[in-house]
Amino acid sequence: MKLTGTIVINAPIDRCWALVRNPVALAACVPGIRDVHPVDERTFEGSITASVGPLDGDFTFTAVITRMEPPSSIDVEVTGLDSVTKSRLETTVTATLLEDPPGTTTLAYRAEVRVKGRLAILGEMVLRATATMMVNQVAGCLRSRLEAASS
Amino acid sequence: MSRAYDLIVVGGGTAGCVVAARASEDPARRVLLVEAGPDPQPVPGVIADPKRQSEVVLESPYVRMYDTERADGSSFPLLSGRVMGGGSAVNNLVVVRPMRADFDTWAAYGGPAWSYDALLPMMRAIEDDPEFADSPIHGTGGPLRLQRGYRLSDPADPPVKALIQAAADLGLPECPDLNVPEPFGICASPYNIRDGVRQSTAVAYLDPARPRPNLEIRADTSATRLILDGRRVQGVELAGPDGPDVVEADEVVLAAGAYHSPQLLLLSGIGPEDELRRVGIPMHRHMPGVGANHRDHAVVYVTFQGTTELREDYVIPKVRLIARSNPSLAVPDLHVFMRPSIRMPGLPPMLPVSIHLLEHRSAGRVTLASQDPDDLPIVRTGLLEDERDVRALVDGIGLVARLASHPALAEFYGPMIMPAVGDDWEDHVRTTYETYHHGTGTCRLGPADDPGAVVGPDLRVHGFDNLRVADASVLPTVPHANTNLAAILVGEIAARALPAPAARLES
Ligand SMILES: Cc1cc2nc3c(=O)[nH]c(=O)nc-3n(C[C@H](O)[C@H](O)[C@H](O)COP(=O)(O)OP(=O)(O)OC[C@H]3O[C@@H](n4cnc5c(N)ncnc54)[C@H](O)[C@@H]3O)c2cc1C
Repeated sequence: MKLTGTIVINAPIDRCWALVRNPVALAACVPGIRDVHPVDERTFEGSITASVGPLDGDFTFTAVITRMEPPSSIDVEVTGLDSVTKSRLETTVTATLLEDPPGTTTLAYRAEVRVKGRLAILGEMVLRATATMMVNQVAGCLRSRLEAASS
Repeated sequence: MSRAYDLIVVGGGTAGCVVAARASEDPARRVLLVEAGPDPQPVPGVIADPKRQSEVVLESPYVRMYDTERADGSSFPLLSGRVMGGGSAVNNLVVVRPMRADFDTWAAYGGPAWSYDALLPMMRAIEDDPEFADSPIHGTGGPLRLQRGYRLSDPADPPVKALIQAAADLGLPECPDLNVPEPFGICASPYNIRDGVRQSTAVAYLDPARPRPNLEIRADTSATRLILDGRRVQGVELAGPDGPDVVEADEVVLAAGAYHSPQLLLLSGIGPEDELRRVGIPMHRHMPGVGANHRDHAVVYVTFQGTTELREDYVIPKVRLIARSNPSLAVPDLHVFMRPSIRMPGLPPMLPVSIHLLEHRSAGRVTLASQDPDDLPIVRTGLLEDERDVRALVDGIGLVARLASHPALAEFYGPMIMPAVGDDWEDHVRTTYETYHHGTGTCRLGPADDPGAVVGPDLRVHGFDNLRVADASVLPTVPHANTNLAAILVGEIAARALPAPAARLES
């Protein structure tokens, strides 16, 4: 499953970068996320809860920053495991930041999500919708934090 | 010559259980039913309890998954049941007859015996539908019990009532019986459930036949190859719990499903010459149609931000829409379902709606991954390769958007979030479609002089005297309906077409 999109933030690139490269701070913007903690400088762990129809599931995940080009681009490899179907979810999220015009930063993200296991059956109905909604929520949260900070 | 069996049925799925049960009604016919999956007795709760259907699909060992790709390289899974009862043991239990238009099409391939009028008595004989006992098109007393948990006249939850009202205002009439020859509108869905128990064909057909001394069942046993001699199948190679074995019979029926019946033919050297050469299997008979013509139904989801949570039953939705993507169409081409909400802490509820295209104009193909029977076949679905199919789903999104913005439903359905404002609906359709799990067509019906045909009207494989295919793979087009009942019908047709068992010298 491919997910792409852009988030426009009325804040300078350096301020956006500072948040994007710090998953613990970023996690405060991600709904439903729990217990995010650093394992080492580039690795973080946490969990997320979701339910669909009769199913309630917990995801545990590990995120590793695999590439950083401050302040314009970052790759994060995320692997997750779900408690219900024991499926494995793998994705590399690439985010690029561009400040144009000055004071306005566009964050473009691209992720290719691979699901190994039965969770793939719920792929388009559940995963894409949830990811879409989550990105909307994260975008709103990022904007309000960064734009408030820069005004 | 005396054989160990008169009939071997390969695959105890939806159709295979029907063939084995019907064929063993003749006590003179010794029948062997071979099923790759287990035959758990009593049937485990996860299969028997309709409310646990999502669990059977997401968590049980009774499902096989096949990865397949869209044109953009992204993948999604196809599924089949791998347990006694096959698809009917793991599916969503809905019982939908093909439409009259489907039989008209099939009759063009299979002759008048495949027409609606010719097959109506068989459809009536299959079912036990007491709610329509007085209807001339329905039956009572057949093996397959139908039950509607909900009738359109019943009181309903506010969202269901709102859907019925919105649909009516969009010109979709009430359709209390979706098994009429030309169903259209907002329909109450019938399910194969009796007293709260799933009626797979393993339960509805095979269970009453199990005590028969002339029926032998081998579960956890896969057919790996047919042993062929000219126009005849001499025997079937098996791999079971006790190792390899060979069984012989006068007649062999393949009912291994739309992915595995062509796989077994190909493994045995029956199929397109180039495909056999590619995997290094010696050719017994060149048959271009084996594995070709794969048909299915594409599904796309649109998701709305919900104003409230919808806890409608996920497995057994009360109603479905049978609609036209374009008012000029003669035959309705869409199923539409409102789905229960997806919930996540910190997010508003998400309300998906699924749109199912009931036609498939292009065709895909089932091929071998290798000569190894344990390797799953490769399925290229061929879905949405025809622009008209893409257009129909795009129009379906338009229909759902209109429906959701109707004042009655707008109380529950907020803005569309997937695809979002400004997103290209056509791109959404092409890059996110999945399957309705209705794979068909890979050993299709047709006359002997039709190069794409694999079986004739009596389901005998062209060029063979004692080999038949009897499952969803013989359907030349995917019906405008879910496919389990069509597979049952194929099983019934095959059982009736079998020759009487040969007179045999008892020792
Ligand atoms: C998740 C899901 C939901 C569905 N929901 C519905 C629904 O609600 N209503 C509906 O009408 N249709 C539904 N369908 C479709 C319907 O169930 C299928 O079309 C139908 O089961 C096909 O029947 P079949 O006999 O062709 O094949 P199957 O039922 O798949 O049977 C094939 C059998 O052969 C066995 N087999 C395979 N290879 C071998 C071998 N080499 N040796 C021995 N045995 C072998 C398999 O294990 C299987 O049991 C659904 C399907 C799925 C997967």
